Amino acid sequence: MTIPQPQQQQAVPKQNSAPYLMPLLVGGLVAVALGVYGRAHTPTGYAVGLSGFTGAQAMKSWLATGTFVLAIVQVVSALAMYGKLPGVQAPSWTGTLHRWSGRVAFLLSVPVAFHCLYALGAQFDVPRVLIHSLLGTFFYGVFVAKMLSLPKKGLPGWTLPLLGGLAFTTLTGLWLTSSFWFFTTFGITF
Amino acid sequence: MKRLGPLHTLAGGAVLAVGLGVLSMQTAPAADNAAASSDAPAAKATTSVAPEPTASASAATEAADPTPKRADYAGVAQGNGGLVALSIKNGKAIAYFCDGRIESWLKGTAENNTVTLSGKGSLITAALGDGKAQGRLQVGKAKWRFSAPLVKKPSGLYRASAIVRGAKVTGGWIILPGGRQVGLMDIDERQYPAPKLTPGSPVNVDGTELRPEDTDAFIDDL
Repeated sequence: MTIPQPQQQQAVPKQNSAPYLMPLLVGGLVAVALGVYGRAHTPTGYAVGLSGFTGAQAMKSWLATGTFVLAIVQVVSALAMYGKLPGVQAPSWTGTLHRWSGRVAFLLSVPVAFHCLYALGAQFDVPRVLIHSLLGTFFYGVFVAKMLSLPKKGLPGWTLPLLGGLAFTTLTGLWLTSSFWFFTTFGITF
Repeated sequence: MKRLGPLHTLAGGAVLAVGLGVLSMQTAPAADNAAASSDAPAAKATTSVAPEPTASASAATEAADPTPKRADYAGVAQGNGGLVALSIKNGKAIAYFCDGRIESWLKGTAENNTVTLSGKGSLITAALGDGKAQGRLQVGKAKWRFSAPLVKKPSGLYRASAIVRGAKVTGGWIILPGGRQVGLMDIDERQYPAPKLTPGSPVNVDGTELRPEDTDAFIDDL
């Protein structure tokens, strides 16, 4: 979802940095709020989701896999926009591809995260679940920070790659501790 | 140049989450399976205890508590066909209901020949006497009566719990004196058919050996 603007790296006048920290602050608050909610409320054990799967875990595993695949599209299209793919001239539609693949990835992840937080809550009893709970809350914090950083002008050039990279890394961890675990434990089932 | 910005993306996600929340709250009570329990039925357990015992406790009115110190019961839930097992030790009661599809673990107290137990969305009240436990069982919205005679090993209740490749696995089995048995494996909140249990032998789950234990081994831990 990056709007390509790496060329704006001319001297940024030193000034009050508070506006640039706002996205980080809000992102942090989102992460903490999700974690507190996941921990404080009583898990319902039930949440609406897409039908057509054998169970909530299968549904979440596949939605998360969809998100993860689109996240790979995110990384590749971002690299292309920043000219980091050797020999690849980013086509004009790269930005649109990046924005919309990201948007779809995010929307696919919402029902998954919703089920996690609403029906199961943040839990720390086994390492896999502990890591997944922490990464999950962190991911949405980073994502919010990234979204809020996008419209800001004059951010250091590494801001968006850093936030995007963090989001992708976190999502990879989330996918490994959920979908990958599910598919290797129960087999590839729908 | 009117294009959707990142704030629209965030707003879209938030709206979607709120929508899911509203739908979940509206549909949750309709799902009558044991896993989809809210706290409401469990909370009700404590309040609905009082009226039940009167009829049942009449058999025994000695000053000392006539409740058995240690007893195991197992029987059939009438109208469902699932099995119920109930065990008592020093005033503590545990029970397990399973029909091969739905299961519920319950715990509670035994006092004055009356047991009251609750689990996730489930509730049991029963009277003890004449060598059996007789009472009512509620799982989700469904209610059944049951009558469970005293049983001795190898009949009765078995439980196995372990962590297999990071997944929390709990197995429950009930074996009746005639040899009939029912069981269910719970792997990270999902139910799977349990392998047939031969008391004393391990069962194999996904390549890992589980050792189901009889009530004596776990009644204090449940």
